[in-house]
Amino acid sequence: MATQTVPANRPKQALTVDEKLQKIRELYADAPELGKAALKNGLAMLTQELAAAGLAETAGRIGARQGKVSELTVFLPFVKGGAKRLRGLLQLLEGNFKAADAVGTVHDMRFVFVDNDTKLLFATAYDGDFDPYIEDFASKIPNAMDLWLSNFEGYPGMHNPRAAADWIAKHQIAAEAWYVNSPNLTGAETRKLERVGKAVEELLDQIG
Amino acid sequence: MPVKEAAGEAVSTQAPALEFHEIQALVLRPRPAPYFGIHVLLRVDDAQAGRAFLRRITPYVDSSENWSTANNAWMAVAISYTGLKALGLPQESLQSFPEAFRVGMAARARELRDDGVNDPKRWDQPYGTGQVHIGVTAFSDSEEKKRHVLAIARKEYEGFSGIKVLGSQDFGAQPGDRNSLGYKDGIDQPAIEGSGVAPLPGQGPLIKAGEFILGYPGEAGISVPMPQPDILARNGTYIGFRKYQSRVGAFNRFLQAHGSTEAERELIAAKLVGRWRSGAPLTLAPDVDNPALGVDPQRNNDFNYANDQHGRQAPFGCHIRRMNPRDTNLTRLTDVNIHRLIRRGTTYGPPYDENQVSEQDDVVPRGAIFLFISAKTMGTMEFLQSEWINDGNFIGVGDERDPIIGRQEEGAVFTIPKEPVRRRLHGIETFNVLKGGEYFFLPSLSALRWLGNLGG
Repeated sequence: MATQTVPANRPKQALTVDEKLQKIRELYADAPELGKAALKNGLAMLTQELAAAGLAETAGRIGARQGKVSELTVFLPFVKGGAKRLRGLLQLLEGNFKAADAVGTVHDMRFVFVDNDTKLLFATAYDGDFDPYIEDFASKIPNAMDLWLSNFEGYPGMHNPRAAADWIAKHQIAAEAWYVNSPNLTGAETRKLERVGKAVEELLDQIG
Repeated sequence: MPVKEAAGEAVSTQAPALEFHEIQALVLRPRPAPYFGIHVLLRVDDAQAGRAFLRRITPYVDSSENWSTANNAWMAVAISYTGLKALGLPQESLQSFPEAFRVGMAARARELRDDGVNDPKRWDQPYGTGQVHIGVTAFSDSEEKKRHVLAIARKEYEGFSGIKVLGSQDFGAQPGDRNSLGYKDGIDQPAIEGSGVAPLPGQGPLIKAGEFILGYPGEAGISVPMPQPDILARNGTYIGFRKYQSRVGAFNRFLQAHGSTEAERELIAAKLVGRWRSGAPLTLAPDVDNPALGVDPQRNNDFNYANDQHGRQAPFGCHIRRMNPRDTNLTRLTDVNIHRLIRRGTTYGPPYDENQVSEQDDVVPRGAIFLFISAKTMGTMEFLQSEWINDGNFIGVGDERDPIIGRQEEGAVFTIPKEPVRRRLHGIETFNVLKGGEYFFLPSLSALRWLGNLGG
């Protein structure tokens, strides 16, 4: 798996904006001139960001979360032939992920083949925690899960959901930072708002 | 999407016969009506004394043999992780238990969303301190039989050095089999495959025994991981023990704030739960109570939500629709069958009174101790607490929480879907406050004997 510097050195105590700025100045003391200039010229916006309340949370046992939306990033090592199979499968699916629709909480997924097709970088945004639902996946969509995850080393199979969850967590690397545009909207709520918005437009059409 | 795919591995479809003579009676025997009983909490200060106690008490612990027709008085003995340790269970075996069980319920407060007023720091003594080692529960259908069972147990733990009684809690049905907020409870229980009794109408599909008892295939086709050795685990299960204090004054104030007549208040009380206080489900009696329906086990659970997909009868956020969504269209991929628990609710304290509205009425000791039984109780309780009780997204009600057992945030609301516009009730409070909790292992009868004879 990928090695990661654990994002652990977070300042525990609440710092004032001035203290934070001071720290950033120290960090940028040996930055390239371009960086130093950017710090000086961009001070107004940076100060606003530093003054706002912190939004970062953790998702389940690993990963970052903002509001209701969590991130999951994994580096998965392919078994022999795995990259070829998965690439072929993904190309033939042509962007139709019915299993992800069924899960209901997945905002997006990206599949990036790296290191000469020896590893997959898989990154997704989803609602809440996935750990509590791993047994539901195992019960409802085991084949959809096994079909793509069987291309990776050490994957135990969805018939053993707890082991599968542990396997995913083992390969997970937490994002150092995580930004969500609408952190309080789940996938289900977004779809609901789409329906409501459409209904309102239709109503307005009838009036106007 | 197919509704349910076949599992990825070949599985046996033949349900194995349950070893009723090994499984403790508490697992399968329903609560009698009316019911009487007591929970006794013990601490083991000396391993030998603890094991001697187990050897003395085990002959009186009832099995599930003939559970559906058995005499309605029985005793159960359950042991916590610290209890197993105090009894001298070898380290290797201790380590084979699931992590959540080992660290205990209080240490899993984050996963269980036990924060704010439910924070373990605020629990009654001795819960969450690691001192609760053994729980003895006696159930019966009369006060006299309960006293008889208790006398037997007491003879085996009282006056022995090395065994300390930490406390006890009498419990019993209140008039009309009601709980401390005035509802008939305990109606909907999961139907277990192989238990030998036809499910009640509406009890849902038979659920594999391995979801509830260790050593049998579960819904995924395999047994959930078992602690070791086999003799200790097989036919055993886990209990999540939760003590709640009912804030009867706050509940009545809420009803009075939103309902000006008794009929209005009763309808709101029904909307919060999904059943009238009589037990009659709103899905079958949407507009007026039907007490005859409420008490009839052949009819009071015989429904689904196919004709209530907008929640106009049973609101999406009501207690029973959360705890068993049945065929409700959920926002997340969910197998409802794998999140069920057998529950034995035991009500304590004075009966419900609709006229009690003061803040003092909130602290009168009364409420319920729940025993949640499953082969994976810890995981299921964490799922229920975080997803179905203290959240609403799974069923499309946003941040709303379970109005009965949720831990409410400031400004909490409850939505009642209605034509032409929904009604939203403000001022929902935490009506049942958690006062303590423990995880126990409920060993088989052979395992109790094995534990009693540890160390020769």
